[in-house]
Amino acid sequence: MEYDENGVSIVPFEFKKEIFEEAKKDFRYEEYVRGCLNCGVCTGGCPPHRFFDFSPRIVLQKCKSNDPALVWEMMDEYIWACFQCFTCAMICPFLNSPGGVIAILREIAVRRGFESAKRVLKPYSRVLLKLTAYGNQLSPDMIQPDFFPDWGPHIGYASQDLPLKRKAIPMPTLQVTNLAWDVAPETMKELYTIFDEAGVFKIIEVVDPSLYEIIMDIIDDVRSS
Amino acid sequence: MAVEIKNRLDLAAKSSDYMHIAGRKIENIHEELLELEAKGEVKVIHIKDENKPLYAETLFGWKKKIPTNKLWHHKSCGQCGNIPGYPVSVLWFMNKLGLEYIDERNQTSCTAWNYHGSGTSNPVGLAAVAVRNWHRAYELGLFPLFHCATTFGDYKEMRNLLVENKELRDEVKKIMNKIGRELVIPEEIVHYSEWVHVLRFEIAKLKKYDLSDVIVTVHPACHCYKMIPEDCIYDKEIYAGKRTAVSTGIALALGAKVADYSTWYDCCGFGFRHILTEREASRSFVMDRKIRPMVREANSDVCITQDTGCTTTLDKNQWIGKAMGYTEQVPVMSDVMFAALACGADVFKIVQLQWHTTDWRPLCEKIGIDWKKSEEEYKAYLEELRAGGKTVNLYEYPS
Repeated sequence: MEYDENGVSIVPFEFKKEIFEEAKKDFRYEEYVRGCLNCGVCTGGCPPHRFFDFSPRIVLQKCKSNDPALVWEMMDEYIWACFQCFTCAMICPFLNSPGGVIAILREIAVRRGFESAKRVLKPYSRVLLKLTAYGNQLSPDMIQPDFFPDWGPHIGYASQDLPLKRKAIPMPTLQVTNLAWDVAPETMKELYTIFDEAGVFKIIEVVDPSLYEIIMDIIDDVRSS
Repeated sequence: MAVEIKNRLDLAAKSSDYMHIAGRKIENIHEELLELEAKGEVKVIHIKDENKPLYAETLFGWKKKIPTNKLWHHKSCGQCGNIPGYPVSVLWFMNKLGLEYIDERNQTSCTAWNYHGSGTSNPVGLAAVAVRNWHRAYELGLFPLFHCATTFGDYKEMRNLLVENKELRDEVKKIMNKIGRELVIPEEIVHYSEWVHVLRFEIAKLKKYDLSDVIVTVHPACHCYKMIPEDCIYDKEIYAGKRTAVSTGIALALGAKVADYSTWYDCCGFGFRHILTEREASRSFVMDRKIRPMVREANSDVCITQDTGCTTTLDKNQWIGKAMGYTEQVPVMSDVMFAALACGADVFKIVQLQWHTTDWRPLCEKIGIDWKKSEEEYKAYLEELRAGGKTVNLYEYPS
């Protein structure tokens, strides 16, 4: 993939048009992109705007421009700066939802397996694995000092004697270490059917083929149990 | 500084007849949902008398029915995984109040992390997961109570999309048929903080400690009050109805001082993707936009939250601030954990503050809680369990 001086991938105009059309066809698009006065209230309240070159006003304006090239400029790094807090949607006087548009554009980037999306999602592998294969994520055994050194010395508390500390939690569903709560295998099987039918597994296969293989192995084991 | 703090302490208890309209004209989704039910398009999980509902007003003054009994706990990944005292405190209060509920293994995450964080889902997948979990509560004859703000926001959105889109309903129905379930939608999407809010005066009756010297700053969760904002509780007696009332309401009911701070509306910096993969943004946000204003403007003793990601982000990212010479620190916990502390719940066995990173001991000492005794008892309890002892649970699976 070639990139221009702004880090935006260089592709033919027809492809940009195809991507923009895909976004506009999403049944949520018209709900999220209405009239825009260019007032900038959304950007004024936008948390990531304070730390990134990111503006929900620009997201809306580019969509309203109807120019596929302008929308394409957001498809690499830009869309991944959003915090998904929906401050923009709450305060927009026209009921636009730039955060909602970002969600649509991210889904396209992932579905299409864009290199930028793969790069951004690489550190997500464990979260994706846990959530997709077991039904929940952010398990206690994920909090390891070497991954969160900036969370201070106390973070090691969670990795010492973890099974015993979890056993002491007075809720039976929480007395596990490899999941946030213990999920019944029959429940996991229902989730797999949902993900199969909704095309979620296909999305993961596109964005991370090796993770997909691992998830499928786990699912085979659970299904045959 | 003193004048500044005094002004900030006066705001939370202000009342007015102010009503949010602001030119926003939004269809009442609840009426459309009942119309679909009448046509046989969907089944609705109704809030019945046995759910002992209480009412609250939402942003536009609409009434929201909050069930308080016969509830199905829809847990939160991050709470269960990293802040176990959060759900434990909810159950502790339910036991204290003699309310019925089920906490079971037959539920999945809302999977909205794959929506807001990674984009690795789609509306059909998210809506089907939502309906699957709603249906589990429905078949047990219970009403679902959502612990996580992202679940709350996502499920409000999925409900709206399902009500407004026949194609989505049809797709989800097909999937539900394959797993032996039906398309059901709750009459209301209810967050645990709303349950706490409507029961705040009952909870306050259990209070064991005087909180009148404790200064609280509230961090409202974006996915509670910014996503589908018309479905969120506001109270004309709390911040004059101009800010969401949950969490502030319970802190006031418990007699704590609630202090305003200039960046109350900002998010916590979690950002889904950022907390894992670009944490320098999260921690800068935490210190510059939340913790420092809370301490410098309001002299806060404790930051009260109403969501999973906010609690984690605000608690865990203070230590690193020292590298920038930031000395401000404030303990972070959810509204229900703070209430449990105030009502005498054990610091280690119930509120489980030992998992938190920012020092909470000065807060306990200010309140008058003997955390050292609690720690000793907890250590002895761990040794009992290590020797093969049985956990003293708040809840046991139905036999």
